[in-house]
Amino acid sequence: MTGQLSRLGCLLLVLGIIGCEQQKDPVYHDQFFAFGTLIDISLYGVEEPLAESVCRQIEEDFMDMHASWHAWQPGPLASLNRHLSALEEDTIEPSILPLLTEAHRLSGLSAGLFNPVMGRLIALWGFHDNALPLGTLPDNTAITEWLAQPPSSNDINIDGTLISSRNPSVAYDLGGFAKGYAIDRAVDRLRAAGIHNAIVNAGGDLRAIGQHGERPWRIGIRHPQEDGIIASIELSGDDSVFTSGDYERFFEVDGKRYHHIIDPRTGYPAMNTTSVTVIHSNAATADAAATALFVAGPDQWWSTANSMGIRYVMLIDTQGTIHINPEMQSRIHFEPGINADISLSALLQ
Amino acid sequence: MTRADRILILLAACAMPFLYIHLWFGDEPAGLVQIRKGGHAPVFETLQPDRKLRVTGTLGESVIEISNGRIRFASSPCTTQVCVRSGWLTHAGEFVACLPNRISLTLVGKDPRFDAINF
Repeated sequence: MTGQLSRLGCLLLVLGIIGCEQQKDPVYHDQFFAFGTLIDISLYGVEEPLAESVCRQIEEDFMDMHASWHAWQPGPLASLNRHLSALEEDTIEPSILPLLTEAHRLSGLSAGLFNPVMGRLIALWGFHDNALPLGTLPDNTAITEWLAQPPSSNDINIDGTLISSRNPSVAYDLGGFAKGYAIDRAVDRLRAAGIHNAIVNAGGDLRAIGQHGERPWRIGIRHPQEDGIIASIELSGDDSVFTSGDYERFFEVDGKRYHHIIDPRTGYPAMNTTSVTVIHSNAATADAAATALFVAGPDQWWSTANSMGIRYVMLIDTQGTIHINPEMQSRIHFEPGINADISLSALLQ
Repeated sequence: MTRADRILILLAACAMPFLYIHLWFGDEPAGLVQIRKGGHAPVFETLQPDRKLRVTGTLGESVIEISNGRIRFASSPCTTQVCVRSGWLTHAGEFVACLPNRISLTLVGKDPRFDAINF
């Protein structure tokens, strides 16, 4: 009896010790500021020294990319813009050549709705800088002049590393694209370090690779018009989820909202759309597509998604109607209590 | 085995459920917010009780409001006011930053429903 009690006592003590061992969070989190937003990195099952080291490398990469790609602060892109506005040929820095080439490819696929060379128009609205011109509308004459000679990717000629423009209105602003491109580079960096389960989240736009241990990564999509979540999605492969919304950067004049997503066809903020959520394996493509589909609006998003090779789209218009394609509808789960009208499109091809 | 040993084992057995609940699940409130200021190490605050926190960043003082388990920037000295307009954070995984003032808020939980929030 004494022996049995002793064994029981030992068992209880062992269990007690196990009980005192707190389960360690298997996800390593890191945050830093870059690209005018907060970068949040989650790594599953990675030892801390490696996680810390690779996150610092990514932070350094982001700082370098931001400095090189900024259209208005001194750097290669700002220098390029000066030459292009004078219709001078220039040499592209190798570090930004693939960025520009990919931006023009996506612009072509979007029929110019994603326009990487409309920097002057964005500057007229004051959305090129972190500071907003609160309560100030741009001069309509300046917008009309810009529209008289609207720059597009077709105005640009790239031959090797030489670049020229035939339109003095051309000015690069990669705000609708660079963040996605940078996320892709961060994922490349993670994979090179042997990390295959991670989320790189830049201000709410993210790419998730692998999964969270035995389960998928769980992503909530924030409601664009209310507090809280509108839908969720589980990711367990390699997917980027990008949302463009009219609530991100805006100012109001006489009670009317003027947001930062400018329609290059009108020179004014794109109407009729509140938010667009896109899923694509490539973050740069998802970034450009979210902008293009926002501009395309409820009537043209489907054809634009088709031409850009996007398979998963949810667009919420200013009336609150959710426009969604069947493939996207089968992937996301709306939260209980979401009673919006749903307009289901044809299958994307 | 002495009488004292038996009492000790009995006490350990009685303490076991409490130890499991306390140490595995914790006695802290379900919601925490991680507040990061510039390059400093983050600090954590509970989401109870309702209160206002004043955090001084690069530009000046940001007021952070906690109410009903939610959190938001109530005011900030930045010109953009993007942080204030972002409204309430309600789910673990959500974050908002006042970039000019270099302050960020991230909701965290022991078992957050979401690993990340897209917006």
